[in-house]
Amino acid sequence: MSGSNIYKPEMMEITDIVQETSDTKTFRLKFKNESTAKSFSFKAGQFGEYGVFGEGESTFCIASSPTRSEYIECSFKQIGKVTTALTRLRVGDSVGFRGPYGNYFPVEEMKGKNVVFIAGGIGLAPVRCVIWNTLDLRNDFKDVTIIYGARSFNDLVYKRELKEWKERKDIKTVVTVDPGGEVPDWDGEIGFVPAIVEKVAPKAENTVAIVCGPPIMIKFTIPVLQKLGFAEENIITTLENRMKCGLGKCGRCNVGNVYVCKDGPVFTYAQMKELPQEY
Amino acid sequence: MEEKIISLDNLSFFVNDLIKDNHIVIGQDSKEINWKRITGAKDIVVNSKNIPSNISYKEFVFAKTEPIIYYKNKKDEFDIVEPALPRQKLVFLGAKPCDARSIEIMSKVFNWDYKDKFFNERAEGSIVIGVACNYQDKFCFCTSVGLSPVTEKGSDLFLVPLDEKNFALQIVTERGKEFIQPYQKYLSDGNQAKSKEILSKIKNPEKRFETSKVSEWLTNNFEHKIFDNVGDICVGCGQCAFACPVCHCFDIVDEECDYSSGRRMKNWDACQFGLFTLHGSGHNPRETQGKRYRQRIAHKFKYYQDKFDEVLCTGCGRCSRGCPVGIDIAEVVAEINSLA
Ligand SMILES: Cc1cc2nc3c(=O)[nH]c(=O)nc-3n(C[C@H](O)[C@H](O)[C@H](O)COP(=O)(O)OP(=O)(O)OC[C@H]3O[C@@H](n4cnc5c(N)ncnc54)[C@H](O)[C@@H]3O)c2cc1C
Ligand code: SF4
Ligand code: SF4
Ligand code: FES
Repeated sequence: MSGSNIYKPEMMEITDIVQETSDTKTFRLKFKNESTAKSFSFKAGQFGEYGVFGEGESTFCIASSPTRSEYIECSFKQIGKVTTALTRLRVGDSVGFRGPYGNYFPVEEMKGKNVVFIAGGIGLAPVRCVIWNTLDLRNDFKDVTIIYGARSFNDLVYKRELKEWKERKDIKTVVTVDPGGEVPDWDGEIGFVPAIVEKVAPKAENTVAIVCGPPIMIKFTIPVLQKLGFAEENIITTLENRMKCGLGKCGRCNVGNVYVCKDGPVFTYAQMKELPQEY
Repeated sequence: MEEKIISLDNLSFFVNDLIKDNHIVIGQDSKEINWKRITGAKDIVVNSKNIPSNISYKEFVFAKTEPIIYYKNKKDEFDIVEPALPRQKLVFLGAKPCDARSIEIMSKVFNWDYKDKFFNERAEGSIVIGVACNYQDKFCFCTSVGLSPVTEKGSDLFLVPLDEKNFALQIVTERGKEFIQPYQKYLSDGNQAKSKEILSKIKNPEKRFETSKVSEWLTNNFEHKIFDNVGDICVGCGQCAFACPVCHCFDIVDEECDYSSGRRMKNWDACQFGLFTLHGSGHNPRETQGKRYRQRIAHKFKYYQDKFDEVLCTGCGRCSRGCPVGIDIAEVVAEINSLA
């Protein structure tokens, strides 16, 4: 009748740690329980609650692709209590995990279309998930463009992968840093993401744009996409409201009558426009 | 509806039997006007003339604070232990119509997709014995949200005070009928004409607003100075949410923990607190008290309705009676109604 304890985490072990920037790390995690590991599946764009006992839980997207199911990865910025506790952990340590939660990117519907990924800062984490999902099924999609920007060179995450994507001939990758954020031998673009989007975005026809990043970047990127002719239904973004339960219970994450943790975090711009301006 | 009579004396015997039969009886006693577990019939008072208790009885199904897991660290391997939940059935004795539906209303959010067993295991199978309400003050507005002082909605069994010594007992639901079966000996045949007459004499609080009108106005007026005007007065203490029979927001935090053991708790929270929606980045979608007050009103009179087809308010007036700065929710919503 009442069933299981929905707040009970599964234990995962950290199998790898990458220091992305001075304050951002990526954890690779594996379920300790074999049968959980086997039955676990998720879709690109979903998130989880990652916990450190004694400190609490934090919400991060699953940053790895569902096409690589032996592990999950999350990237987080050290910003407060739980993220500081996570930062102290080492390979072999345990992390609690609840998830996957929320809706996901419409990867199935994107097949046969061009895709442009636009990300800023740590916003590349959820986009990376769907980028790898797309690249692992590369033949199902037409042209793929990646536009990524951060405040400075030091703030770019997934540097190894950015290099790999740049070297690939079957996709177009443009990386930019804000003016003043470049280093001496910087070979990427210099400028804010919206301006770069205007310069390098593919034509809007038969193209889906996935946009994640700080609110200010999203705010200025969407008008650019609209100017380029993207329909509101083809601009897809995520909302990141403060969450606790992730289950549509605790009442914290709503925007209007929408629970971001259940009805989101993925929304088309057409859907976002219908919501009250409270995010 | 089947109707019986139960005398005050028999009500005491009935309650004693319930306790003996391993039910948890939640009621009010004569000294306090708050809810507690009753240990014997000498404690009980079922009084239709009482003011609604300061806080509702929701804490017995949605605990103020409770562990959701315990953990133990054994050589870096964590053992997670699940807290045990009570197996006994809850009986709420003497619920006013503005309390009786609270579990039903909250049950929607705790079950719309994922099921919260901490709520369900207490709520499922609980029995509500309601009582017609003969109290009224300027804060009451049950009639504005589809209830009334005499409605049996939400109750399994419903008491109507007939005289100093007797209640009519209406058997409202199948569950109520089954529940009362073993205690027939305390009941005698009822007289519906008499209870009807008594109920008809109870005065309804004036209807202050139309919920459909309010909800529609809220859809079209997300930005409006009425919210800031109230927000300027509100001190964000959260009393209103804690007293409310249907507010259900909570926090999840680790408490009393060190490296070797601890527990993760689910604690009441309130949307009137500034930290409620504060992002790690420092950004806060509801950075002013006015925006937080708007959330309170819109959640109750629009969002919950949109999503779960229920108004998230029973008109009990507790939030207004207890507000330290005199904000009266019915007044605010009535003003919205007049704008619509
Ligand atoms: C769907 C979703 C996906 C997300 N994905 C990611 C992701 O992939 N990567 C990522 O990095 N983030 C992500 N986030 C954001 C992330 O959830 C938060 O940054 C994170 O939960 C912060 O947790 P914390 O416990 O470290 O911060 P908290 O401690 O909760 O910090 C919150 C606020 O309180 C302040 N504070 C902290 N401690 C104290 C104290 N002792 N006294 C006073 N003030 C204090 C902080 O300065 C901050 O302003 C996501 C969020 C959502 C909703
Ligand atoms: S009780 Fe009154 S002052 Fe306190 S949060 Fe509610 S409305 Fe604001
Ligand atoms: S909002 Fe106020 S009046 Fe309505 S049910 Fe809650 S406490 Fe009672
Ligand atoms: S995070 Fe708890 S309701 Fe969405």
